[in-house]
Amino acid sequence: MNEQLLLGLLVVLPFLGFLFNGIRFTSKNYKLAGTVASTASGLCFLISLTLVAKLIGMPEGERVITSHFFDWFLAGDFSVSASFLLDPINAVMILVITGVGTLIHIFSIGYISHDERPSKYFAYLNLFLMNMLILVLGDNLLVMFVGWEGVGLCSYLLIGFWFSDPEKAAAGMKAFITNRIGDAGFLLGIFMLFLSFGTVTFSEIATRLPETAEMMWTGPITLACLFLFIGATGKSAQIPLYVWLPDAMAGPTPVSALIHAATMVTAGVYMIVRMSDVFVLAPLVMNVIAIIGALTALGAATIGMTQWDIKKILAYSTVSQLGYMFLAVGVGAFIPAMFHLMTHAFFKALMFLGSGSVIHAMADEQDVRKMGGLKKYMPITHFTFLLGWLAIIGAPPLAGFFSKDEILWYSFASPAGHWSLWVAGVIAAGCTAFYMTRLMCLTFWGESRVPKEVHPHESPVSMTFPLIVLGVLSVVGGWIGIPHVLGAIIPGHPPNVLEHWLEPVVRMLKPEHASAAVEFALMGISLSVAGISAYFAYDFYLVHKDRPTMVTKKLGGLYSLVSDKYRIDEFYFGRIINPLIDLSKGLWLYIDINFIDKMTYLASDMVKGSGQFLRSLQNGNLQQYALYISLGVVVTITYILMGS
Amino acid sequence: MPMTEAFLNVGLNHYLILSALLFTMGMIGVLMRKNVIVILMGIELMLNAVNLSFISFSSYSGNLNGQIMVFFVMTIAAAEAAVGLALAVAIYKRYKEINIRFFEQLRG
Amino acid sequence: MLGAAIPFYILSFLVLFFAYKTITSPNPIHCALHLAITMINLAFIFFGLNSPFIGGVQLVVYAGAVMVLFVMVLMLFDLKTEVRAFSRGLFSSFLKVASSGFLAGILIVGVLMSTDMLDVTSDSVGVGVKATSSTDIALLLFNQYVFAFEVLGLLLLLVAVGAVAVSRIPGGTHAND
Repeated sequence: MNEQLLLGLLVVLPFLGFLFNGIRFTSKNYKLAGTVASTASGLCFLISLTLVAKLIGMPEGERVITSHFFDWFLAGDFSVSASFLLDPINAVMILVITGVGTLIHIFSIGYISHDERPSKYFAYLNLFLMNMLILVLGDNLLVMFVGWEGVGLCSYLLIGFWFSDPEKAAAGMKAFITNRIGDAGFLLGIFMLFLSFGTVTFSEIATRLPETAEMMWTGPITLACLFLFIGATGKSAQIPLYVWLPDAMAGPTPVSALIHAATMVTAGVYMIVRMSDVFVLAPLVMNVIAIIGALTALGAATIGMTQWDIKKILAYSTVSQLGYMFLAVGVGAFIPAMFHLMTHAFFKALMFLGSGSVIHAMADEQDVRKMGGLKKYMPITHFTFLLGWLAIIGAPPLAGFFSKDEILWYSFASPAGHWSLWVAGVIAAGCTAFYMTRLMCLTFWGESRVPKEVHPHESPVSMTFPLIVLGVLSVVGGWIGIPHVLGAIIPGHPPNVLEHWLEPVVRMLKPEHASAAVEFALMGISLSVAGISAYFAYDFYLVHKDRPTMVTKKLGGLYSLVSDKYRIDEFYFGRIINPLIDLSKGLWLYIDINFIDKMTYLASDMVKGSGQFLRSLQNGNLQQYALYISLGVVVTITYILMGS
Repeated sequence: MPMTEAFLNVGLNHYLILSALLFTMGMIGVLMRKNVIVILMGIELMLNAVNLSFISFSSYSGNLNGQIMVFFVMTIAAAEAAVGLALAVAIYKRYKEINIRFFEQLRG
Repeated sequence: MLGAAIPFYILSFLVLFFAYKTITSPNPIHCALHLAITMINLAFIFFGLNSPFIGGVQLVVYAGAVMVLFVMVLMLFDLKTEVRAFSRGLFSSFLKVASSGFLAGILIVGVLMSTDMLDVTSDSVGVGVKATSSTDIALLLFNQYVFAFEVLGLLLLLVAVGAVAVSRIPGGTHAND
């Protein structure tokens, strides 16, 4: 089969799955729905593997598969075609999306078995998969935007999947509206790019970049990048638009794993990596991205330390890890960003699925204070979760270690980096280690605080199998991106496969003063910080259990500020949303009613009035008519006499 | 014919002015009166005014076509009077008066 | 010169006076009679304008037949003096009179303005000295305008039939027909 057809199938198969389950959405046959959806997803994974194999078979530097379907629209010189592009960057993405996606589909079969609308659920999942693939495969910004909006829609539908609960429906709406703000920025960015380059196709933008760079006038590009980044903050939950992601945990847990950890939220990172050639020309925006990324990583990690809801902890962890990715792209380390995106997809999906397994076992209990000691009830879940924990805190040689340390190294050594960014990253890593260890302690270790009426049990095979696969991936996933300094000392000298793979298509900002000694030193510092804070968490929550309360009391206001999520939501409501509502109400009550409505009424009244007037002229009175004739005659003759 | 000469010595514009005045009077009658029959009379006055200017032009230019026209106008005026009066009769039968406002009943 | 025009002025005065009476008399019968006098005066003006045939037709057809028709209809209705002879509406009445007066004014102005353009002045009346005979008119009528004449005859026939048909509309005093 040729590549074009395969690329098309990649989108068509999930769509067929969506149609199949969407048409019979009332069906409660979760096994059939899940099998169909998982098959569609699995076939996509196989196709992705085939396509990537073909890419590998191509000579280096020419690894591109394009597929043109049809001309979408033409307007003057501006033409947009619905076409796909597969190159090393999104090859990584489609493997992650379809691979992790398939595992989560399989997991969902067990998870959703007690639900009332499993078909609908799987239909949404397949629709999401389709849109996500459109997003990453699109060869121009507009096709990407279609997928971008599509995943936003699916995210909304799935967060509000249990829409009968008003809180969950509101969470879906919050996600959707917050994303809309970002989307507006994204659209503006597209417009700016179109204005600057006259095209929205990635390859054409890339070919026109050098001339623009020579002109040294990068104002529009800076603005465009800023707008695109606003779009990314919406989709990828960065400051200031991250507030939706913690609330998005109202959705089913596999959805959180798929959409809000592994795939959709990384779309912003992917988009920036895809446009990296443009972003490099806007150093100011790069700095903004790096700072925002570092702040998000730090802020979300600190919030994560104070949360009690197992999914909220993971959600803030996700926000924090996404902050790392943005920190990476902000300092020009695009390949480490993709690397961390991939490893994070593995271990965060694993942890979400693990938490799903726990919640499933605990009969929908999410509060970690009511768990504990689950290790003996759920050995497989515990073991895989352990792997995820080790991966995320950056224990070598698991996946998170390599990607996180590479990001930290770049944030220190890259020309766009700064030591303060590194410090923020290390502190965030420490916080991560703390709250993750805390999560492990509270959930799996120690004595059981499980209520008597709940009987925890290990999940069925369909749920544990994805956990095991993801656990393995969390361990080995990092081995494709071993940094050079480590590769040099490890026996066998493993190469940095991922960097080698992406290098031809991504231009990175290389560290200028790269020194192996410094890199090892920094690595050691971050490792020891993570280790120490993990030990502290262990000490706090298993050994000296009175210490958390003590520390909390000591910190007082600071602690409550953090545990209230810095009161960002309250700030938004108090300072932005409610004033906006008041302003809108004011506009409606004063401007709209008094001014705009009156204008429209005036227009209609004028028509009505002139109609009334003309009606009174035509009143059936013959003599009036004769008068009109005579007036006409008078006017005509006067006009003629005037003219002569 | 001394009398004819006297008439022709007056000058064409006198006749035209007379014709204009007569026409205006007929017009006022048509516009102002309520009675359909009097309105018809106004119309006759207007027609006569037009006839007068035809005849005077005809005489002053020695062109007989004007008189032929007047002849036709008179014929048609007679026909119009006949029809108008017949209508007046029809209106009177229904309303016991011949007010022009009867026609307001005809609007849709 | 002025003296020679006296008959014209007298006739003109009579025409305008009776025309005025025609449109102002509250009694329709008076209107009709005044109209008849107007017609007769006009007929004399026609005679003076070397058009004895048209003058005669005016007398016979207008002052005779048409006016008789009017009077007959009026007598049929047995109309009294009207209480309100004029249409209602002060503003529209004003507009009507004003527009009519203005029309008369601009017509007179137009006539006076275009006197120079008319090459038919009183000096050039050579043809008009000889009164037109009915023979000349007949020749013109039955040669050049014979088609129009025949069409007019047809029209009169139609009008005769139509008038009868219209006045036979059922209703009123003749509802039982």
